[in-house]
Amino acid sequence: MAPLLPEPERYRAQVAALQCALDAGDAAAFRRAFDALSEQMDVGLLPELKRLTATAQSALARFSAEARLDALAGHEVPDARKRLTHVVKLTDEAAHRTMDLVDGCVPLVDEAARGSALLLEAWDAYGDRGLAIASLWPERAAMFLERTRADSEALRANLSELLMAQGYQDITGQIIRSVIALVDELEKVLGKLVRIAEGNEVTTMVRSLPAQPGWERGLGPQVAGLESADAVSGQDDIDALLSQMAAGK
Amino acid sequence: MSTVKFLVVDDFSTMRRIVKNLLQELGYNDITEADDGNTALPLLKAGAFDVLITDWNMPGMPGIDLLKAVRADAKLAKLPVLMLTAEAKREQIVEAVQAGASGYVIKPFTATTLKEKLDKMLAARAAA
Repeated sequence: MAPLLPEPERYRAQVAALQCALDAGDAAAFRRAFDALSEQMDVGLLPELKRLTATAQSALARFSAEARLDALAGHEVPDARKRLTHVVKLTDEAAHRTMDLVDGCVPLVDEAARGSALLLEAWDAYGDRGLAIASLWPERAAMFLERTRADSEALRANLSELLMAQGYQDITGQIIRSVIALVDELEKVLGKLVRIAEGNEVTTMVRSLPAQPGWERGLGPQVAGLESADAVSGQDDIDALLSQMAAGK
Repeated sequence: MSTVKFLVVDDFSTMRRIVKNLLQELGYNDITEADDGNTALPLLKAGAFDVLITDWNMPGMPGIDLLKAVRADAKLAKLPVLMLTAEAKREQIVEAVQAGASGYVIKPFTATTLKEKLDKMLAARAAA
């Protein structure tokens, strides 16, 4: 490509053609000359315009990436730390609750085993089953059955509680997923900044960063120290809110 | 009572198992599971379910959208829907009730709470 002439000189031919067409009153020729001039001007401006756009885009990309990184580093990473601390607390509580319940089951089962062993032993000690029945054995057997029935109910209750204690997996799972999403975003923003610094992202369009998700998709469980000001404190609070709403209808 | 047909929707299989187990303890044995709104909705449209228990925060279609889709469907409009979720913002609870939730139980929950809300919903359904 030939070096560009200085700006006014560059347009001499088109201006002359314009003047000529104007003098001759030739509308079609004037239009052609005008188009040629405007095309010539575009060609001159285009590289400059491209360069400016790229600089602006790069600055914008950098700005939005840095602003996001700032928010991530300033709030969301410390929040993530609290979330994970909360996960540790919940898993710790669930593990202890589970072990306490197991501890509660062990003596119940041991007692049933011990009691039935004693009864069997006594049963076998009487050579004659008729003698056993005439002895204290039936009374002891009745006591044993009574106790085993009560213990089995306690055992059943513990098993239900053990089941409920596993609910921690859902709660902690939701919290961990939110932290995974954060780490994922952090990686993307850092990668973007690196690419901008290396000059590899100069001409890419600024990708609008995703808006923070609203509560419609769900926010996950409340985390100690990060409770939303607008959150209920528990089931009683919800029940009160619901009856309030029902009364207001 | 054992003929009540349940659909339990939660993305965590542990939670589905807990709810299923509790329902069985209460004497309900007809329980189907789904892991989000997108899998639940065709099941609901195809099968004659009596109660829907759904989580809110799920990948794919969240519970609130499932609830709205259920209420928008003439055949499902009257289905009792219990939200069983960790979502705790008042705004969300109000939204769920306005969208037609029949009950709202917050996680972590107790077996007693679930039973109480289910009994209430089933009684309302029987009275309707």
